Amino acid sequence: MNPEQIPFVRFAARFGVEDRVLAAFMLAGPLVVSSLALLGRSAVTSVLAGAYVGLFVLYVAYRGVATDGE
Amino acid sequence: MVEFKLLAHDLGRMLQALSLMMAATVVVALIWREFYAVPALIISGLIPLAIGSSLTSYFGGTVEVGKLHGMMIAASGWFLVAVFGSLPFYLVAWTIHLDPALLNAPDLTGRAASTVGAFRDPLNAFFESMSGFTGTGLTMTDDESSLPRSLQWWRSFIEWIGGVGVIVLTTAILARPGSGSLTLYESEAREEKIHPSIISTVRTIWWIFLLFTFLSITLLWLAGMPAWDAINHGMTGLSTGGFSITDNSIATYDSPLIDFALFPVMILGGIAFPVHYLILQGQLRNFYTDLQTRWFFGFLAVGSAAVTWLLNRQDTYESTFAAFRYGAFQFVSALSCTGFQTAGSLGPKWPTEAQLAIAFAMSIGAAAGSTVGGIKLIRVATFTKGTLYRIQGVFVPDTVVRRFRLDGRKLDDAEAAREIEEAAIISFLWVVFLSVSTLVLLLVLPIEPGEFTLENVIFEVTSAQGNVGLSSGITGPDMPTPAKVIFLFNMWIGRLEIIPVLVLLRGLFQKFNVYE
Repeated sequence: MNPEQIPFVRFAARFGVEDRVLAAFMLAGPLVVSSLALLGRSAVTSVLAGAYVGLFVLYVAYRGVATDGE
Repeated sequence: MVEFKLLAHDLGRMLQALSLMMAATVVVALIWREFYAVPALIISGLIPLAIGSSLTSYFGGTVEVGKLHGMMIAASGWFLVAVFGSLPFYLVAWTIHLDPALLNAPDLTGRAASTVGAFRDPLNAFFESMSGFTGTGLTMTDDESSLPRSLQWWRSFIEWIGGVGVIVLTTAILARPGSGSLTLYESEAREEKIHPSIISTVRTIWWIFLLFTFLSITLLWLAGMPAWDAINHGMTGLSTGGFSITDNSIATYDSPLIDFALFPVMILGGIAFPVHYLILQGQLRNFYTDLQTRWFFGFLAVGSAAVTWLLNRQDTYESTFAAFRYGAFQFVSALSCTGFQTAGSLGPKWPTEAQLAIAFAMSIGAAAGSTVGGIKLIRVATFTKGTLYRIQGVFVPDTVVRRFRLDGRKLDDAEAAREIEEAAIISFLWVVFLSVSTLVLLLVLPIEPGEFTLENVIFEVTSAQGNVGLSSGITGPDMPTPAKVIFLFNMWIGRLEIIPVLVLLRGLFQKFNVYE
């Protein structure tokens, strides 16, 4: 089965800022939020949430430095 | 000549989109096992679905719409969506009150009963719906924490959708053939396109908005909010709506960490989507090269410092840090038109000059093309630069060719005049309606020592018209009916930047021969 047959995957992949990593952040979003809601506050979910926000900020900063340096 | 049948098809599509939103809310009611709310929500969805489907099928295919009809569709569509969006509040409140057999509705008492019971008045339900869709955040509830979860969600959801726009939603999910989509898009207080295609543009806007929603929810959860609270406040914070699910907005948590975690959420909502798009593509220089974003951060820094100083000067709080914490939060909330509060109702506690500084921020708002209300920074910049341009022109010989520089563009005199005129008209209308509404409220509210003051009234009207939601304590279910009606009007015109509503009213007056 082609993953793009799933509407949300198709939406995440086709409409955005033409960047696979950011598309991955979009796809991971519902999973992260669902995990926080269903599993509650624990060390694992805290690391997951911290990694999601932290990696996003770092990636956008990295992309900015790489792009603006071109 | 106004052809009202040209509006019908697009209005029907908007109502169909609304019914899809109701369907999503039924799922939330089932998850929270609020089965008593499900029939009310289903009926609330079926009514706009039936009317919307009738309109779209009876009035045939889409037609090309010009500016006149585009504005009328936007104004009437937002009004209708707010009317039908009030049904969940109204029907769920009556379900709880009547407690029909088999539905097992909760037996509410005290503040919970009065909070939900307020929605049995259709005007209160309509007020809540209009406040939600326009991203205002003024509320008819007394204790939001006692609302059923499905109504908490509905309030957050309509703010989230309204922040981006009902027409943007409709265009994204029910693609409209022809070039009319652009006209409708522009009628909903949006101008810039991200892609040449309007459908690609609105889908990219939703993409960015969804990604930021997930990030906002996660950030708030990390700061210490419970998951349900983070979901709702992430949605209403990013859409700069300001509805809360707690009794005392963000002040309920009394957490500096949560306060500061909301700063980036509200600020993201105040930046234009095309700028977000460029920044996500790595062009970080847009933080300072884009005029509105640069001015936004400038206003945030200067305004937060000024309000902190005003609070500190009068010892409103016990420390400078507390003055900054509450002053900066309220200022960011006001300038981004969010409406979250951490300082309670400002009326009795804050000095007048600090309240007026917040009112000033509410009237300006943040960037055009974002989710905010207010006059918008681009107009303030155009107005300010235009005034300087005119004054400087007096010192330059007539033979010199001059260019008006605005946001990277060089405009000749005719183009500059057009831009300045547009900004002046909107600003003028903003002040006119602000003044008229203030006058009406002064007539219908108890203005006397111990009750409300003139600055409280100006504050509240600015909050309604700027789609902000900060309150000086005036808004509530016990407010006189004329005050509710005038606030409804303020919220409606504020979201659509006034002119589409005036165009619709003029069209209606012509249709019904009011001028004769």
